[in-house]
Amino acid sequence: MTVDNDAAPDAALGLEGVPHTGESVTADGHLVEPQAEDFTSARQAPPDFEWYKSAVFYEVLVRAFNDSDGNGTGDLRGLADKLDYLQWLGVDCLWLPPFYASPLRDGGYDISDFRAVLPEFGTVEDFSYLLDQAHRRGIRVITDLVLNHTSDAHPWFQEGRNHPDGPYGDYYVWSDTDERYSDARIIFVDTETSNWTYDPVRGQFYWHRFFSHQPDLNYENPEVQEAMLDVLRFWLDIGIDGFRLDAVPYLFEEEGTNCENLPRTHEFLKKCRKVVDDEYPGRVLLAEANQWPADVVEYFGDPEIGGDECHMAFHFPLMPRIFMAVRRESRFPISEILAQTPAIPGGAQWGIFLRNHDELTLEMVTDDERDYMYAEYAKDPRMKANIGIRRRLAPLLDNDRNQQELFTALLLSLPGSPVLYYGDEIGMGDNIWLGDRDAVRTPMQWSPDRNAGFSRCDPGRLYLPAIADPVYGFQAVNVESQMNNTSSLLHWTRRMLQVRTEHTAFGKGDFTELGSSNPSVLAYLRRHTRPDGTEDMVICVNNLSRFPQPVELHLSELEGRIPVELTGGVRFPAIGELPYLLTLPGHGFYWFQITDPQEEGEPQ
Amino acid sequence: MSTRPLHAVASLTDDLRTWLPAQRWFAAKGRDLTDVRVERAVGLADGDPALVHALVEANGELYQVLIGVRAELPDHLAPFAIGQLGESHAYDATHDPELMSGLIDLMAKGADLGGLSWRAEPGVELLTGLRARPIGVEQSNTSVVFGYHYILKLFRRPVLGANRDVDLHRALWAAGSKQIAQPVGVVEGAGAVLGFAQRFLGDSAEGWATATASVRDLLAEGDLHAREVGGDFAGEASRLGAAVAQVHADLATTLGSDVIDAAGMESSLAQMHRRLDEVLLEVPALAEHEAAVRAAFDAVRGVSGGIPVQHVHGDLHLGQVLRTTAGWVLIDFEGEPAAAPEERVLTRSPLRDVAGMLRSFDYAALHLVAGGEPDHQQEVRAAEWADRNRAAFCEGYATVGGDPREHAALLRAFELDKAVYEVRYEHRNRPDWVAIPLAAIKRAA
Repeated sequence: MTVDNDAAPDAALGLEGVPHTGESVTADGHLVEPQAEDFTSARQAPPDFEWYKSAVFYEVLVRAFNDSDGNGTGDLRGLADKLDYLQWLGVDCLWLPPFYASPLRDGGYDISDFRAVLPEFGTVEDFSYLLDQAHRRGIRVITDLVLNHTSDAHPWFQEGRNHPDGPYGDYYVWSDTDERYSDARIIFVDTETSNWTYDPVRGQFYWHRFFSHQPDLNYENPEVQEAMLDVLRFWLDIGIDGFRLDAVPYLFEEEGTNCENLPRTHEFLKKCRKVVDDEYPGRVLLAEANQWPADVVEYFGDPEIGGDECHMAFHFPLMPRIFMAVRRESRFPISEILAQTPAIPGGAQWGIFLRNHDELTLEMVTDDERDYMYAEYAKDPRMKANIGIRRRLAPLLDNDRNQQELFTALLLSLPGSPVLYYGDEIGMGDNIWLGDRDAVRTPMQWSPDRNAGFSRCDPGRLYLPAIADPVYGFQAVNVESQMNNTSSLLHWTRRMLQVRTEHTAFGKGDFTELGSSNPSVLAYLRRHTRPDGTEDMVICVNNLSRFPQPVELHLSELEGRIPVELTGGVRFPAIGELPYLLTLPGHGFYWFQITDPQEEGEPQ
Repeated sequence: MSTRPLHAVASLTDDLRTWLPAQRWFAAKGRDLTDVRVERAVGLADGDPALVHALVEANGELYQVLIGVRAELPDHLAPFAIGQLGESHAYDATHDPELMSGLIDLMAKGADLGGLSWRAEPGVELLTGLRARPIGVEQSNTSVVFGYHYILKLFRRPVLGANRDVDLHRALWAAGSKQIAQPVGVVEGAGAVLGFAQRFLGDSAEGWATATASVRDLLAEGDLHAREVGGDFAGEASRLGAAVAQVHADLATTLGSDVIDAAGMESSLAQMHRRLDEVLLEVPALAEHEAAVRAAFDAVRGVSGGIPVQHVHGDLHLGQVLRTTAGWVLIDFEGEPAAAPEERVLTRSPLRDVAGMLRSFDYAALHLVAGGEPDHQQEVRAAEWADRNRAAFCEGYATVGGDPREHAALLRAFELDKAVYEVRYEHRNRPDWVAIPLAAIKRAA
């Protein structure tokens, strides 16, 4: 780190020529920051304050989706050009990992200017254009926002280290010693030896829960709280539909605690929520708290008033449990985790996923769960081999179409809003030779053309090579060919998303597991009472075994109702007093709407 | 209470003489039924349909029969007809949800009817008006499920005096056991427990079904070992072992335990030899193993140190355990069906239960292989599954109690005794399967 007291605060940004924080400094030493009014605001998405409860999310890496300017890297304009595809597919909300200005030492989670876009992705204007085009198609957009820390290249940090007595002197957690808060664990034990790092410029230690190049913001300082609320307002004014708040448990520090999940952290989240509710109703906050569901519910806030912190949080342990259940051909790994999941406030919703850009490491879960997963995984060489390695869905399932459909059906029907990972809708593969992080971040495969249709550049210039192996390569697996083939996985996925949209029970219904004597069959009832008092009732039956299975469901309380299969509309025999017998093919599943016979068929 | 029900049922005596021996729970199969007498009968519901509760003595054994009476017998009840009562049809009412629905309500009310007392367990508030659903018939009882809440087991052959199933459940529940289904009510009459209601574990799957799903997965693979296949059961087997050990610990804590020496095992050993004598007469194929089996039995005499004895499950196998979302649960603490009631109440070594479960793993492994063309490869792989899960069960058991494998002589004797019993059962009922226990005896002896 260079020691230069006279450097401009924005020197480390590399943002010459575009609006950014610290282009100039006011007489009292404050940095001038870009304002939302400086940019075009996008039109609003259609009003619906509970949209996130029934939305299908789609995680898309800007870098990987579509390259509009031929430089080998995907960008915001490129993504905007593909919105017709995403609308056709039927996704409701895009989740973009951070696209802010960043030195990229932590995948963009090290933000050096909250009010500027990483130049290789475009500009704030480009983002505004993307939002506008998405909203025009009824698609919302959320992105990650790191509240806890910034990059050390952020002008706030640069000002603070150079001018301890200036306006930014108290923006970070500074100390003369490295002995405070010694009860806080070190999260990245592989790379960091302490939560304190000495800054030779200022001659003090600064606090960081993650990497040493990511100093923690000092939330004790009311100005920091206001500055971060203004960052929220900046993007909300431009028109963004919400944020996934990264690393929320760590905002405050307190001597004698582990400095996680402190009450004042929750107080600040309530402030964020209030800004959203008062000024931007209909936008959402999603908590990134890699913890056990029973602990994560704290981040929904007060259940008495429907929740007053985050609207959504990810349900982390469900994903490995789904894989375990199908591997074991037993419903219990899923049943157990859902039984242990507490009720959530009326205004809250889980986010659930099969794959995303990160992999669940078992370190995130409770001791009991870690023991359980290790005990199960460790005995199974194949599962063990997949721990900590990021793989895509298709290769994890041996490219077995039936299993891909079963997993997707589970994702779309279990409680929570599903998050799809880009490319999984066409069964894209991964490239484990690119290394851990990048294996699942290869270019989206649009067509069998050069660079999979992702970019016009020289293949050598691509940020990562497109997958080219004979099974998953872009010649074989691409959007264009699957669009032209109605029996493709892409068309199947689209059809399932349509079916899901037609039934509020999936997003807003309660969940009741229907036990059966067959341990390989997972069946559940989703039931939603609409505001007009009518009910939407869906029964999902999943065969987790590769062999055909019978199941007898005890549905006598629904006697006289008629199950109608949702993808084809076929009426099944009426439910009677006796157990309802179904037979399922290997890895097969059914979704039934439970209808009243009076509402069905021709007039009598 | 009028005497009409008694007369009515008495007029069915001839029909019962034909009907009773056809029931799965009828004890003295194969013998002529000459002496049938209605001990007592009481009306539980009037009208059409009507319900009469009867205790019938047949060849000196007491049977519980619930009789439905309808003017018209619907098709779905026709298979359960017993006979005619004047113009009306009499039938086995346990198959009639309409009549069964009232039984839990009687219990909730604390009804006393014609010498039958219906009682909820202390502190239990039963839900009423639940829909009844008869489920499968078992060896000696008939069960009815109410809503998603309760299961009522009707003992078809009530035993006078204490009921082991009820007593052990109550003791375990009082000890806070999580490995049983909560007892919620009891029907008593004529000095016997006639019915026992428990919380219904609607989310459960039988241990046998979960274990055999794993075996099926293994046998479908070409060459993977048991520890490599996706359906590996060892984790479950280990958790099951821990659950069984916890039940043993809870039973010992609440009902006491004792330590006997090898000499105290003499009567048990005598019985084991006696059973072997009987089975040898019936199944000649066992003769080649006789000496080895007797030697294994007698090796128990050489056990040094004390042998703990206590109340145990008594008939533990994969069909007596349920996997629920909250873990493994043990059911049916009635004891070994073949044993006389007075033998069932005795304390025994908990290794008897362990031996029963280990034998059950062997069965689960081989049931897909048995009866078909001999296939050495499949047999080896099935045996590998059995070994792996037997070991995992013992490891799980050892996390709560002592490791059963440290008492090898006892465990081996009990397993062989169980296998000898199985040989007779299979010989009589499923000759194709006799190879399963015979192979186990050959391996162990």
